[in-house]
Amino acid sequence: MRYFIRRFLFFLLTLWTAVTLNFIIPRLEPGDPAEDIVRRLAGQNKPIDPAQLHAIRLMLGIPGGNIFQQYIDYLNLLFHGQFGVSYTYFPYPVTTLIGQSIMWTVGLVLTTNIIGFIAGNLLGAFAAWKRNSIFDSFVSVGLSFVGTLPYMWIALVLLFIFAFQLQLLPMGGGFSETSTRQMSWGYTLDIMQHALLPALSILITGPIGWIMGMRNNMVQTLREDYTRLAIAKGLKPWKVALLYSARNAILPNVTGFAMSLGGIMGGVVLVESIFNYPGMGRLFFEAVGNRDYPLMQTILLFTIVGMLLANLLADFVVGLLDPRVRKGKN
Amino acid sequence: MALLEVENLDVTYATKQRPPLFAVRNVNFELNAGEFVGLVGESGSGKSTLGNAILKLLLPPGRITAGSVRFEGKELTTLPDEELRQMRWRDFSTVFQSSMNSLNPVTRIEAQFQDVMAEKSDLSNSQIHDRIGELLQMVKIDPSFMRYYPHELSGGMKQRVALALALALKPKLVILDEPTTGLDVLVQKEIMHNLRTLQREQGFAVLLISHDLGTVLEVSDRVLVMYAGEMVEDAPTHGMLKHPIHPYTHGLLGSYADPAAEEVEISYIPGRPPDLTRVPKACPYAPRCPEAIPLCRQAKPQLLPMWDGKAACHVAQMQWNDEQHNHTRHSEEGPKLLDAAFSEATSHKAMKLEGEEVLRVENVSKTYQRRAGFKTTSMNAVNDVSFNLRSGKVTGLVGQSGSGKTTIARMITGTEYPTSGAIWFGETRVDKLKGRGIHNYRKHVQYVFQDPFSALNPVHTIQYLLMRPLMNYGKLNAAQARQKVRELLETVGLTPAEQFETKMAHQLSGGQRQRVVVARALAPDPDIIIADEPISMLDVSIRAEILQLLDKLVRERKIAMLYITHDLLSARLLSDEILVLNQGHVVEQGAAKTVIRQPTNEYTQLLLEAIPRLERPDHVRASYVPTAEPTKVQVDASPVSEE
Amino acid sequence: MDTQDHNLKEPLEQEGLTVTQGVTTAVPEPPILEPEDDDVVPQQARAKRHVPEWFEVIWSNRKARVGLILLLFFILVAIFANVLAPYSPTDISFGPSQMPDSQHWLGTTQAGQDVFSQLIYGTRTSLIVGALGGGLATIIALVIGMVAGYMGGIVDEILSFFINLGLVVPALPLMVTVAAYSPVKGPTIIILVIGLTGWAWGARFKRSQVLTLRVRDYITSAQFAGDGTLRIVFREILPNMLSLTVLSYISAAIGAIGAEAGLEFLGVGDPSTISWGMMLYWANNGGAMITGQWAWLVAPGLALAAITSCLMLINFGVDALSNPQLREE
Ligand code: SF4
Repeated sequence: MRYFIRRFLFFLLTLWTAVTLNFIIPRLEPGDPAEDIVRRLAGQNKPIDPAQLHAIRLMLGIPGGNIFQQYIDYLNLLFHGQFGVSYTYFPYPVTTLIGQSIMWTVGLVLTTNIIGFIAGNLLGAFAAWKRNSIFDSFVSVGLSFVGTLPYMWIALVLLFIFAFQLQLLPMGGGFSETSTRQMSWGYTLDIMQHALLPALSILITGPIGWIMGMRNNMVQTLREDYTRLAIAKGLKPWKVALLYSARNAILPNVTGFAMSLGGIMGGVVLVESIFNYPGMGRLFFEAVGNRDYPLMQTILLFTIVGMLLANLLADFVVGLLDPRVRKGKN
Repeated sequence: MALLEVENLDVTYATKQRPPLFAVRNVNFELNAGEFVGLVGESGSGKSTLGNAILKLLLPPGRITAGSVRFEGKELTTLPDEELRQMRWRDFSTVFQSSMNSLNPVTRIEAQFQDVMAEKSDLSNSQIHDRIGELLQMVKIDPSFMRYYPHELSGGMKQRVALALALALKPKLVILDEPTTGLDVLVQKEIMHNLRTLQREQGFAVLLISHDLGTVLEVSDRVLVMYAGEMVEDAPTHGMLKHPIHPYTHGLLGSYADPAAEEVEISYIPGRPPDLTRVPKACPYAPRCPEAIPLCRQAKPQLLPMWDGKAACHVAQMQWNDEQHNHTRHSEEGPKLLDAAFSEATSHKAMKLEGEEVLRVENVSKTYQRRAGFKTTSMNAVNDVSFNLRSGKVTGLVGQSGSGKTTIARMITGTEYPTSGAIWFGETRVDKLKGRGIHNYRKHVQYVFQDPFSALNPVHTIQYLLMRPLMNYGKLNAAQARQKVRELLETVGLTPAEQFETKMAHQLSGGQRQRVVVARALAPDPDIIIADEPISMLDVSIRAEILQLLDKLVRERKIAMLYITHDLLSARLLSDEILVLNQGHVVEQGAAKTVIRQPTNEYTQLLLEAIPRLERPDHVRASYVPTAEPTKVQVDASPVSEE
Repeated sequence: MDTQDHNLKEPLEQEGLTVTQGVTTAVPEPPILEPEDDDVVPQQARAKRHVPEWFEVIWSNRKARVGLILLLFFILVAIFANVLAPYSPTDISFGPSQMPDSQHWLGTTQAGQDVFSQLIYGTRTSLIVGALGGGLATIIALVIGMVAGYMGGIVDEILSFFINLGLVVPALPLMVTVAAYSPVKGPTIIILVIGLTGWAWGARFKRSQVLTLRVRDYITSAQFAGDGTLRIVFREILPNMLSLTVLSYISAAIGAIGAEAGLEFLGVGDPSTISWGMMLYWANNGGAMITGQWAWLVAPGLALAAITSCLMLINFGVDALSNPQLREE
């Protein structure tokens, strides 16, 4: 129990730090950030809309006020779910924009990551079990080269081949403009078609980390006494491999699963922008391009919260899988 | 047909990077159904490798390179995996070393029985459940513990569980590899007793692998002795006790004695085992053997029957032939004995000097607060302990793990503060020292660590390691320090010193490393040395040598020593005064001989009873030639391949 | 494997397991002498060695050898970029969006620059960012990890919190946000951002490593020998972490190279930088897809993959130093 309380406290503390970080980053710049932003917007030859200025003020708190006052106002606004107004998509509040895109990203990230995790761990376990086989050397050398290919590059190449050259799949977006957007087989198929390339871009390199991690962990657990005892017991080889060796080797990977989401998020930003996929990644990309600070920061905040939740979940799962952790030895 | 037949077995560890290591060479032995056989050897002797080879559990790069292993006539070395798998656990099972890690940490005890029993027996699930309960009861564990996870059990309990697990399918042979190493003596004793009783009742055969000849002799019917990868003796227990055939066995036996005897003496075997990357063409024991003749360095002796057993020794064989031929009995005399021995009589303890008090421990207690959830529990690690250390005298602190002996050591060195009581070093209150004070105090109080393998940083040379204390405390410059390092090395018997200076710790053997650790403790010229189990990690055959060294240094340099140990024999030999510690309380305190020979406390008696008693005939013991002259240690130039 | 009785186990079974804490432990041992000439050990046995031992171990690993040679190749390309490149990478005097031909091996950009020349000059940026960004992250990681691990107590609690925080916060979005706010653009700022946000993994590893090293007897032994805290940290602990530090430096460099490319691709870099990330950015925005200029699209990605691979290969060798179980058998 103590373990879970501890993890939850860490969650709250990290959440608070992330929120505060979000408050601090824009204030690291010299001068009044709001004015600075306005100046920059002006520099882009856009007319300064007082409402936009207001949006910036909302985001940054009342300028001129004492920094603590600003901080408290900021927290207060956050607490009431007010994250400010986007000025690319003025006058929509950023929460609306995120609300529209979040499911796309969650769907993409979860599917790819779960498939990647399962496939990766199985392949890694198999490679370790068949250590020094052809399959193993293919996995440990061959795949690690594939793993070095940058996400964005894979995405670009896939797009180039399948959409531009072969014209088999759509060039981008999450669904066809012509679709009814009603729940139907056609619409589902349409969504699948659009998601295929982005998902593939992540899935080509995604599992490789798991494969390597699992392989290396399992090379160690295969030498552990408990595995050797399982062999001595004359259990069926798959039982030895899965229930003894892999069962222990997977523990670090479960913790790693949540952590890896952070890395995947980076990939998602890149992939979504390339495929013009209507998720948070593309929204973030646009926000960066347009210097839409409220949108940018809120997305960052949401992402961090997402990561934290995922971590909390992973801690919970590790607690379930590993009785030693439950006992609260830290 | 014997149950297990091992013939001309060779096991080699071959990697690309290193020269191949011939760990087991040409080993032959048989094991009959229901027999309890011990396999003894020191680290690097190949005994565990042999055990794993029989079980076909060798880890790569280890491989059986020649010979055969037959179980009930079936050749295991060439048996297809699937057939072998069918035989496992039903025909032969195993218990690994101290089982800390041999139970799957993430599943309950029950499940670890369940899987193998379900797969290999016709019992139903509920029958299996009942059987697990029975098995646990057999090793004196309450059946309710089957719901527990391994980490919730103590080391001794895990070991019992492992034993019960090994017996789950009533195998014909159980191979136990150092099953009690690392456990407390009392627990060890109980587990061994348990094992022996079960073996008699159920009639399975046992191969007990251990470094501890004493324990093995106590429980086995027959003992196999390995040295440097070869089988050197194979003899029934009573015969081996009465008349050890091979000089190495004899040497090992010399390391044991009854601590409660009137006179106690143990011997050691100078030198160290050969490097196994080159196969010795002669007797591998020849460089250490006190009886070696020129033939020993030319030809390898074969394991041949003589007297009531078998041995691989030229000299013994000649004696045997002689005896056969002339019908005279040499055996009553036994082979010539070693002159490298350490006894109370030859110890400098006999000098009876009145040491002056250096350190006084007054009514010291230590309580730890432990927080579990919202409850705080306190544990009394040390309870109202008083004693003092005198110059030139050794105070033995005897206790099992958890007795508080290490806590006392930590308080004396100032790394921990007592909850109450006082520790006086002259006029200084040690328990009040902080920062700089502790630094200065440590010049006077030095520590000899238990594990010589972790007490020396692997990245430094011996010279660097020894120069540090000299430069820090002695305020010597580098050149002076280097000079002093040589003196120190010679003092601890590492000669010629030039050879050792430039070495790294991993190039030395265990005994040599421990000498370096001692030298480092001597460097600041301390008043007090705390020796925390300094011999427990060393091979049995060289322990007496280190004891002898400590004894000599302490008496000559008038150092007060606190000798911490779980081993009554070495405590008796080295200490002037002994304190027996049980759960933080001193239960017995007094002159070494008195405490051990006339213990008044029940706990001390228990400890004494747990020591393997080797009933050796008088002529074996009485033929020692005690020498006061410490034996010069042979310097072995070849780097250690122990790791 | 740190059971208290580990040396009573047969060392053979644990070959290479017990003495694995340091670089020096992996030394091939000098030739063994006959037992007879025990007393006269030639001192020369260990002299005359020009190559450091750690290098021998890495070099003996086939993968690492290939990696080192490749890295040397990249370094040479970076140094002699001006000699090797046929044109100036910023020269816009060529026809825009040309397909590869004998003049322009990889074609030209939308602005009419030679892609091949850009590719060669881009090596410089990647190497520099990798070396410096990775270096900065490693130094921060080393300091934080070692302080947290060695000091323990409340200091550790606080630092560990920041380490965990750094692990949870998604790196690329954070980098983008920080970089987007920065008033100046270009590789320098990107190096800083990468260094300041990318240290958490390394710090975590170093902390746990120090935690295991700190309780070794030889640390206590050094305290008893009168060594001070600084000396213990730098002379007793640090040398034992050398291979781990190199390992995490290379990993950090890999991360830095990838992050730089990602950041530039997202448009937070200086558009005039010549780098592989920027090339991808321009290829994507400059219509390489529509005009079918596969070479412009493919080349920078492959270059990135190649440099990452070569660092990774070196890591295999370093890994073998610290973890003998992964050595080739
Ligand atoms: S053969 Fe010779 S050297 Fe070997 S044990 Fe016998 S007497 Fe000693």
